[in-house]
Amino acid sequence: MYRFLRLPILLVGLFMAVSSYAANDPQPTLTTEDSLGPEIQQPIEFPHNRHAGLRNPNDPTNSDPLKGGMEIDCQYCHTYARRSAVAGIPPLQKCIGCHQNIESVRNKPRIVELFKYWDAKKPVPWKKVHDLPDFVRFNHERHIKRFVEQQNRPTQEACGYCHGDVKSMTVARRQKTLSMGWCASCHEKAHPVTAAGGTPVGDQAYWYSFQKPAAKPDASGVVKAQGPNDCWQCHK
Amino acid sequence: MIDSGIDRRDFLKVLGWSGAAVALSGCGNTSVEDGKETVVSYVEANDYMIPGIGVYYNSTCAQCDAGCSINGRVREGRVLKLEGNPDSGINKGKLCGLGQAGVQHHYNPDRVREPILRNGNKGETITWDKAYALIAEKLTGVKGEEIAFLSGGVSGHLKALLGNYLESIGTKNHFVYEALAPVGVRAANLKSYGVALPRYRLDKAKVVLSFGADFLGSWISPVHFSQQYAQFRKGMDGQRGVLIQVESKMSLTGANADRWLVVKPGTEGVLALGIINALGTTSGEIAELVKPYDHAHVTKETGVSASQIDKIAALLKLRSPSLILAGSAVEGYAHGAQNAAAINLLNHVLGNVGKTIEAPSNVPFPQLAPIVGSTASLKSLNDGLVAGQYKVLFNFAANPVFTAPGAFKFKDNMAKVGFKVAFAHYMDETAMQADLVLPLDSALEDWGTQVPEYLADGMQLNIQQPLMEKLHANTRSMGDILLTLLKQRRADEYKNFEDYYAYLRGSLLQNKGALGAGGSDDDNFWNEALTRGVLKISSSSATLADKAATSGLQLPKAETADAKFPMHFIPGVTASLRDGRHANQPWLQESPDPLTTIVWDSWVEIHPKKALELGIVDGDVVEVTSKSGSIKAQAYLFPGIHPDAVSVPLGRGHEAMGRYAKGYGVNPFGILDAIFDKETGELALHETRVSIKKTGARVLIVKDEGAAGGMQMGRRIALRKTTDQVDLSEEV
Repeated sequence: MYRFLRLPILLVGLFMAVSSYAANDPQPTLTTEDSLGPEIQQPIEFPHNRHAGLRNPNDPTNSDPLKGGMEIDCQYCHTYARRSAVAGIPPLQKCIGCHQNIESVRNKPRIVELFKYWDAKKPVPWKKVHDLPDFVRFNHERHIKRFVEQQNRPTQEACGYCHGDVKSMTVARRQKTLSMGWCASCHEKAHPVTAAGGTPVGDQAYWYSFQKPAAKPDASGVVKAQGPNDCWQCHK
Repeated sequence: MIDSGIDRRDFLKVLGWSGAAVALSGCGNTSVEDGKETVVSYVEANDYMIPGIGVYYNSTCAQCDAGCSINGRVREGRVLKLEGNPDSGINKGKLCGLGQAGVQHHYNPDRVREPILRNGNKGETITWDKAYALIAEKLTGVKGEEIAFLSGGVSGHLKALLGNYLESIGTKNHFVYEALAPVGVRAANLKSYGVALPRYRLDKAKVVLSFGADFLGSWISPVHFSQQYAQFRKGMDGQRGVLIQVESKMSLTGANADRWLVVKPGTEGVLALGIINALGTTSGEIAELVKPYDHAHVTKETGVSASQIDKIAALLKLRSPSLILAGSAVEGYAHGAQNAAAINLLNHVLGNVGKTIEAPSNVPFPQLAPIVGSTASLKSLNDGLVAGQYKVLFNFAANPVFTAPGAFKFKDNMAKVGFKVAFAHYMDETAMQADLVLPLDSALEDWGTQVPEYLADGMQLNIQQPLMEKLHANTRSMGDILLTLLKQRRADEYKNFEDYYAYLRGSLLQNKGALGAGGSDDDNFWNEALTRGVLKISSSSATLADKAATSGLQLPKAETADAKFPMHFIPGVTASLRDGRHANQPWLQESPDPLTTIVWDSWVEIHPKKALELGIVDGDVVEVTSKSGSIKAQAYLFPGIHPDAVSVPLGRGHEAMGRYAKGYGVNPFGILDAIFDKETGELALHETRVSIKKTGARVLIVKDEGAAGGMQMGRRIALRKTTDQVDLSEEV
């Protein structure tokens, strides 16, 4: 008798169910510039602040590093970032290379834990903090090449564009949304494509852009281009 | 409640609205998944190990016997992709689809991972120590002649070790079995050219007349021949090479030919003698031999028209050198070797021997030279099994329960053996019958050396090395197993070799002078060998004879058809599945057959005329019955087959061997009659006769080919002409 009602009821029900589910989905909106990721429990609570943090200003000789940071360059440990698309995680060997000679912290619980892994020759099962979906191919190497090697910006600043102020964290935590819109928020900014700006001149600039470089220089006399121009640059 | 209320249209509406709702709610930003996956670092890393960047290692392809060298991309300790190694003269940096699928052999989820001992109908996992002790125990008190070792073709150091082991247990019963070996061709070549496999030079020929040699798909060394073929088609002196293919069922090579001629199955030799007759350039015993093969006789026997024979003869006269190939389709008869010899005679008459047929290299180390297999060898094992001669049977790199002709009843005969050991990668049909199954390393985890039977580009020793760490802790290299078994017998002799790697390295270094590196540093030589993946060794050429070999050459008269089994049965050899040993690699099941585009299933090729006569249409399930058994599969109407023949591709129809092989298609080996080549004793693969019957069921054929199926959809891309209307001279 009410057969004609079945479909509308079903439609409305489905619509409400799906929209309420989607609306409650704790996803950051596109417009947020900074968006903190969840806190992640790591097998060893690695103190980034201790390693990369600034030295204690009241102690110029850094006689007590425990009170300040060591100012170690990000690339000292994350050595793959400048050589490969993925940054990788430093091999355990790297940690041990220094720590076998640092007697003062040898008996701290985290270091004891670290040496347990080393003695068992087992890698530490770190959890991924920045996990892009498999259809996105972010290339670390290109970004380091451009910002650190071509433009001589400090490593911490360059890495910080995406990873935030890691030197102030213990365990790293995601600081940005890392959504496509967020990537575009940088890549849509017009960059000069002259040698003076540090961006490669000529054809290569084309590839840094969502669009082709502007045909003519703008008012300041500089030809400008935007982020990568091809879907395939990231989605391959 | 809603079962009858919603039709397809309503369902689509609902789907559309919910999709819209999801889109409106802003879902789709959900891309970042933090803290869920583990990221594992190296414990210790070498400088060249950079996550995300591949390193490349050379090794040797183990998917078929051609011996192509491979180059594997390894990233984060995992092998991801195989390509050809440019340093090898065989494949020169190229690799076929079968070779590409080698990673699926390695990563196959159905690999055997632990030694398994039979306990009634079940298998229980045991340790290696127990397995070795069990073999020693079962061999005590057993005489040498009561032990049989069945293997596929082996070469290199594994062959040497295997030979030593067989000697140590006092047995001479080594049966080498390959289901699809060119046995008849080898025998005919020995008579005609003095060597079993000469070097064929398609690239030097101006005309190639191939009798059933599928050299682009599955014959001997397809990757090498494909490259020669490319050169042949480019041509010399502005003359593009002409390919004529003569066979009863179209192969991939036939589909590429300028002219494809269908002959009555088994009459290829008759046609060859007919062409010699038509050439009219011979005298003496050859002229005497071909005298009866005039046009009328040959046309009647083969079904090839007189004008067609004249055209071929004219073309062969006009353009020299040519190359005449006798392939696997001609040798599968009771007169198979004779068939091939008649075709070889054509090369002699045309003066091709020494020009497009060259002497092969000798193998300077006879102990490493390949021992090649045959079904004749399996027959003698089977005869022994019937007689209850054997108490212990070893099986390595062969799957006779699947590939032996049904008439052998191999599975039943094998059950008579008291203790059966199978060295296996998967639980295939033969391993299922074994009492002890020992798991092997995959070809990408193993060490080894290999000398291919067909040395396409001079003598070379192929190096096989692991491309990555073992996936499963309890698999073992066949070399290591043999070494351990040898130590049970001859501990003193082998105590210096810790493992197969040490044995291999030691014996190569011992002979480095002969391997062309005399005086160089041991480590340098070894690293160089591993880096290159292939050792090219200068060696003398074998002596090529150019003999007429007419004595004893006799082709049988046409026989009258058997009323009960009127059709010829042609087991189809496809480029990817071959004898079925790789049917559990899903890429191979998934890649469409080049001629029919069918995937994941078997089919029966029937000529449309014959199908019309029997009232069969595409997709009808038909029963193919021989004296030895019957199979049921979907019919596929195929104009590229002789109307008196049907063909079912080999390789599918497994009853075991894991999720990707088991239960897909039917196994034509099971209905093959035990008819043998009179000269070589080899199984005559094409000699089985069958009858066809509709079962009444009909299925939808799963294939890539569109509904218009090769009809060119009215676009007239290529002219359609019957073979009689074609003037070959136009193509010159």
